[in-house]
Amino acid sequence: MKDKKIQIYKMRSNILLGVFVFILVLIIARFFYLQIIQGSKLKELREQNINAFEYIYPKRGRILSRDGVVLAEDRKVFSLVIDIEQKPSEKSINKLGDLYPNKINVEDLKLKVGNSIKFRRSEVVIERLSQEDLAKYLVGGSDITGFSVIEGYERQYNSHPSIFHVLGHMGYINNSDVKYFSPRIEDYNPKIWNKVGKSGIERVYEQLLQGEHGKRFFQRNARGDRRVITDISPFREGEELSISINFNAQKLAYELMQKRRGAIVVIDLQDFSIPVAISTPSISANDLRDISSLQYQDLLNDSARPLFNRAFMGLYPPASTIKPLLTIFALNNKYTDWEETIFDDGFFRFEEEKRVFNAWREGGHGLTDLNKALVESSNPFFMNLSVRYEKDLFVQFLKSSSFGSKLCEDCYPHQFSPLIDDDWKYKNFGKELFKGDFINLGVGQGYMLTTPLHLSLISAILAKRGEYQLPHLVAKKQNKLSLSDNLTEEDWDKLNMSLIDVIYSPNGTGYRINAGDLKLAGKSGTAQVVDINSREEYDEVRTNQLLRDHAIFIGYAPYDNPRYSIAVIVENGESGGRVAGPIAKTVLKELLNDF
Amino acid sequence: MTFNFKNSVIFSLLGLIILLGSLTIYSVTSIDINSFLRFLLINIFVIIIVVLLFNQINLNRIFSFGWLLFLLNILLVLSVEVFGKEINGSKRWLDFGFLSLQPSEFMKITYALFVTQYLRFYSFKFTKFRTIFLVLVLFISALPIIAQPDLGTGLVYVGLGLMFLFICGMHRFYFIAMGAFGVLLSPIIYSFGLTSYQKGRIISWFSSDQTLSEKWNILQSEISIGSGGLFGEGFLNSKQNEFNFLPEADTDFIFSIYAEQFGFIGVFLILTMLGCFIVMTTLSTMTEKRLTNDLSPYYIGTYCTFVIGFSFLLNILMVSGMIPVVGLPLPFFTKGGSSLLCFSIMLGLIFTSRRFLK
Repeated sequence: MKDKKIQIYKMRSNILLGVFVFILVLIIARFFYLQIIQGSKLKELREQNINAFEYIYPKRGRILSRDGVVLAEDRKVFSLVIDIEQKPSEKSINKLGDLYPNKINVEDLKLKVGNSIKFRRSEVVIERLSQEDLAKYLVGGSDITGFSVIEGYERQYNSHPSIFHVLGHMGYINNSDVKYFSPRIEDYNPKIWNKVGKSGIERVYEQLLQGEHGKRFFQRNARGDRRVITDISPFREGEELSISINFNAQKLAYELMQKRRGAIVVIDLQDFSIPVAISTPSISANDLRDISSLQYQDLLNDSARPLFNRAFMGLYPPASTIKPLLTIFALNNKYTDWEETIFDDGFFRFEEEKRVFNAWREGGHGLTDLNKALVESSNPFFMNLSVRYEKDLFVQFLKSSSFGSKLCEDCYPHQFSPLIDDDWKYKNFGKELFKGDFINLGVGQGYMLTTPLHLSLISAILAKRGEYQLPHLVAKKQNKLSLSDNLTEEDWDKLNMSLIDVIYSPNGTGYRINAGDLKLAGKSGTAQVVDINSREEYDEVRTNQLLRDHAIFIGYAPYDNPRYSIAVIVENGESGGRVAGPIAKTVLKELLNDF
Repeated sequence: MTFNFKNSVIFSLLGLIILLGSLTIYSVTSIDINSFLRFLLINIFVIIIVVLLFNQINLNRIFSFGWLLFLLNILLVLSVEVFGKEINGSKRWLDFGFLSLQPSEFMKITYALFVTQYLRFYSFKFTKFRTIFLVLVLFISALPIIAQPDLGTGLVYVGLGLMFLFICGMHRFYFIAMGAFGVLLSPIIYSFGLTSYQKGRIISWFSSDQTLSEKWNILQSEISIGSGGLFGEGFLNSKQNEFNFLPEADTDFIFSIYAEQFGFIGVFLILTMLGCFIVMTTLSTMTEKRLTNDLSPYYIGTYCTFVIGFSFLLNILMVSGMIPVVGLPLPFFTKGGSSLLCFSIMLGLIFTSRRFLK
């Protein structure tokens, strides 16, 4: 009996011993697999566990004006952020609320802290601590845990509002930014960028200005606490950019507008750079950076549209200011010459459609030739010409003077003046162009719309006698373009003379500018905001400011050796000669004296 | 117990394992060298004291208190519910100020003592009633442990209890029946008997989704082990521990840190030592000459040897990702007082039983 029990005991002990040894061998095999076969792979994973890096945001390049004024630069700022590794305590949150009662809402902050920890994303509590706030934190914040002050850079702009539209502004990156930059910047990694250029120079030259991130390598433990910084590769500062804006003239131009809506664009005829481009009203770029989203909405809804860049985007009927350009077209195709005269009685009768068009001056200009039609701005003369225009040639000419194409590579946002052809009219009205349409087009009304930038370029084309380049803000080699004209030097001289007479002849629409020794040549225009069929209606319109005509002036100076071309638009300014012209005179004077 | 060659080998092996265990604990907790030495001395002191103490006690005396000790142990486990302190969401510990005890750790000893006392009376003859009675007592006494909740310790306790009955000669029919029953019942137990935390551990073991937090622990453990390579990173050079990537590195997962520091060679060495210790001890217990007709010293000696052996293996199976994570300490590699005390008592019982057999 006992022996049998001993036997069973021994057998079972041996079974357990067998099981034990079996598992032991299994474990050794497992460790062989993990340590010898998978060893290097697992070691790699361990290194990934421990070694990490973070990006150091680069300092963005400065933007300077041609006359050396700093328009935008990155300045060092300190921000208070949530330290997600430390989990701010309720006590610390309350304390911080006491420290900055005006800047922190404790309930909001609690919510922010909660989200921050949940998504493991460090959130900014106070952006841009002032010196005073920083001192407050350093003195009174010693027992506050879970928050830290970090150093960073922030864009600081020249606060003058004249510069905002050209420079543009920075903002938090969104999907449309990613879509914009991805094809333009090689290997674009949107995840590492926080703020990017939203418009203007900031957007167009993003790649140049942004610089390159540095990297801070560190070893961290499982909780993510930073332990040891092992290596730092510094950031590469963005490149400095000098733009063609002449800040003095820019400021002056903005102030001359006296808060009226409108735009001024000047082109330097030496290199076709843009020394002045303003759109009014405007705001300071710093203001846009600091405002809340509610205030931003207000700006967007403001009827004066301060965020809208009229200089590059605004479309205005060029009115009479298109006449010199169309003179080139008419002479080109022998629709008229300098000798032909018509009798201007203040009306143009279009026999085919039995329509009568009013001209701006009651009684008309009498017997009128091309020179007089330009100097005194006779609509019937040009209407009379326009019924002779051949559609294809007309469209071709508009094309060669940059209608329907991009005018400026680094103006953003940018709008081109629509090319009025059959396609355009089909698209918008479902019909082709009629003869009657040309009567309005011929005096720069009707469908014809141009941007101030384009008007300034048209003025440049007149000044440079058909040879031109596309304007730009940052010096770059541009293709030389030209109108395909066959005008003789004599024709050009006569055209130039007519534009001088506009300013200096007592009959000229720009005589009141009183340009003196500026040697200004130009053409004024007054664009109708509403269609007016009778003089009674016109008087009624004059009483409503927003329905008043736009005052337009284009010109160049000095007329014997043109240096600058200009376009001035004052919305609802009524008279091109009296309102827009003097502004152009003062701006050009400033630029020429400066030189 | 005499100091012949075999015994001195067994003692050296044991000594080396204890030394390696203490060194690893030192490397994980990064305490200074003085407190390490104090810790090592206390470890050795406790083990020697307990072993010597048991050497002085007549094994019969111990057996005669079997049921009392068992009952006391169950009461202590239950008292944890009332007086215990909670760590990681479960109440397992009794705080005595100078040390925290986990009464459930001792159940595997006291149950064996209880069974021995009970069966010795009947010369280890299993009847149907005795068998069912002992199995039922085992299962019912496991309930308070599982309720703590400490499913791991509970299951191991039941497993080891059954192992003791196996050694004592319970009929194999019951094991087959329980096995079959267990397999059939497991889906029901899984659905109704487990907390979501326990289910998570089981799911993570089968799932390949590395984002599960339970799986993360295992992954980090495997990273530690694998990083050791063949020769290891060297003593005190565990980066996984330094950067806190391995949770519970100082308790359940300590062997991974050992593997990272000493490599496959170190692992092979300690497993070989353990294997030799267990095999030699078991064989020498088995082959001791009998002085009495009483078989209980055999049973208790063999049982305690295997408890040490299998506890060791279970923990390593767990840290190397071969079984789901059940919080089991590695014998002689744990700071915990209960574990040290428990395994010291087992050593004491092993050596005492062999003296008794002479």
